[in-house]
Amino acid sequence: MTIASTTPDTTDMTPSNLGPLRSKASYWLIAPGVIWMTLFLVVPLGMMVYVSFWSQTTFKIEPILTTKSWETFFSSDTYLNALWTTIRIWLLVLLSTFVVGYPTALFVGLFVKNKTLATTLLVLCVIPFWTSFLIRVLAWRPMLGKEGAINIILQALHITREPIEALLFTELSVIIGMTQIYCVFMVGPIAFMLGRIDPNVIEAARDLGASFWRIFRTIILPLSMPGVIVGGIFVSVMVLGEFATAAALSGRKVNMLGNIIVTQVGSLKWAFAAVVGVILTILMGVVVAGFLRIVDLKREL
Amino acid sequence: MADVLRIEGLGKSYGSKPALRDVSLAVADNEYVSLLGPSGSGKTVLLQLIAGFELPDRGRILFDGSDIASVPAHERGIGFVFQNFALFPHLSVYDNIGFGLVNRQSDPVTDPVVLSSRIREMVELVGLSGLEDRGVHQISGGQRQRVALARTLVSQPRIVLLDEPLGALDANLRTRMRGELRRIRSQLGITFLHVTGSETEALAMGDRIVVLNEGMIGQVDTPDIVYNSPLSPNVAHSLNCYNLFTGSIQSSSFLAGTHRFPLNGTLHPNPTPAYAIRQDLISVRPGNASLASSEVALTATYLASEYTGAAFMYFFRAEDGHIVEVENHLSHRAAQNLDVNATYQLVWKADDALVYG
Repeated sequence: MTIASTTPDTTDMTPSNLGPLRSKASYWLIAPGVIWMTLFLVVPLGMMVYVSFWSQTTFKIEPILTTKSWETFFSSDTYLNALWTTIRIWLLVLLSTFVVGYPTALFVGLFVKNKTLATTLLVLCVIPFWTSFLIRVLAWRPMLGKEGAINIILQALHITREPIEALLFTELSVIIGMTQIYCVFMVGPIAFMLGRIDPNVIEAARDLGASFWRIFRTIILPLSMPGVIVGGIFVSVMVLGEFATAAALSGRKVNMLGNIIVTQVGSLKWAFAAVVGVILTILMGVVVAGFLRIVDLKREL
Repeated sequence: MADVLRIEGLGKSYGSKPALRDVSLAVADNEYVSLLGPSGSGKTVLLQLIAGFELPDRGRILFDGSDIASVPAHERGIGFVFQNFALFPHLSVYDNIGFGLVNRQSDPVTDPVVLSSRIREMVELVGLSGLEDRGVHQISGGQRQRVALARTLVSQPRIVLLDEPLGALDANLRTRMRGELRRIRSQLGITFLHVTGSETEALAMGDRIVVLNEGMIGQVDTPDIVYNSPLSPNVAHSLNCYNLFTGSIQSSSFLAGTHRFPLNGTLHPNPTPAYAIRQDLISVRPGNASLASSEVALTATYLASEYTGAAFMYFFRAEDGHIVEVENHLSHRAAQNLDVNATYQLVWKADDALVYG
């Protein structure tokens, strides 16, 4: 008897009875997000595309449609070079964050057995973000400069005779700086995926006679690929849109698309800035879509 | 039969806590041994020592007569089937089974024809034909179990260690896989060492049962001998079908709290005196029924029952608070109408009881 009387209560609690509720009222939950994103993301992006076809004179911009700004971009070596610089720096930073980040993630995610310690180590990776960007850039100059710490040490140890000038205000310094800033975005997702690998799976591979290198290549690396992809997307989106690090560490010698936008907006060339903005957005879209093609994230996560 | 595995005086501690103390065991070629123990009995530790995932503090492990202490896990010729299967989640059934052959350091199989024929042979043996190209998430739990087994068997180990292999399966699948495991093993003629916490599984599977208690071996024998005459109260407890009373032996009786049970002939030597009576050898009678001279009775209050399909379990509380369980097989005796909180006599033959002391 008691069982029979409690049955209706328990069925009321099941998720399937949330059905009618979910279909109507629950849509209101996403309304603020949708409104916000439409007003402040979709509409401005649409505006950007529209403005890129406006007519630009020295001090004025008029809504008369023209492709002049687009022609300027694709016929100028300066701008195409900026596009190429952006792609080159992106690829190099992507590679260096992977090379620096993957072993770190491997250590944190796989070799640190204590979960609390692993979390602590990941938090340590974030500590650089507790200092302001400006202060870090300021700190790199006495480090990387012609008479900076690295050059002084190298010379004191008689490894080099002349100071290495390439360390600061070059593309190298931009890449060093960006790797430092964005590495953590690579480490996090990879460490997360590595942490989810069942230790018994690795033990099983070892028991079947595979060497560590084999296990890494056939088990660990494929299973951590979704993390690499997510980390790669994070780093790519941030590096492609970069301008501050490039400007500060190259002494404005390295111009990425982001720097072009800053300059053009500064001189009130809105139409042209919009062209560069559209190109940058398309580039990011292609890169993200490319990453997502490599691994089926929906299946892996 | 020759012993393929001999364990001599094996001991292992973690910190000051001994997980395994002085375990000695001989396992024959072509034998199914089930290792029964509750959690914390050291059964998993024993398995890991044999596999080589852990090193013993004391004692020797002999494989085919030679000490394998210094032999790394994968060169021992011992297969290991993990409790949660530990399949490679990104590989197909085929690639999972072939992993060891392709990727092992010593003597990998590089000829694709040989590889394919060995994998197919194994796929057929474990009954996975037609599923070779599926991912391991696209198959059922029982099929995953077969993949785990095939992955180990394909390397042709002499012994396979199975760590609670049926624990992750649901009940009706578990019964089917028991038969499958026995069939596969006898077809290959190799030795299985099957660790389990379930007494029914241990009894059903093993040619012999090893009962492990608190890091020591309690008994090694065939299932019927272990079931009918457990060597110690601990072994009886592991079997989960005995009512156990602790107490002391005084002249011709066993004193358990306020109860006094007359003794029969045999006394099993044991440091802690105990009195054991199997749950299905007890009958329930009204409080005023008379006893035959060969019978022992215990007055107890009826608490509750549990229907298990083929049987009823009755729960009683004796005068000193001891809970006594009685199993009533329905094929054997009809269900009894018992009143909650009423007093009954639990009666058994003195000869049926096992007395340790």
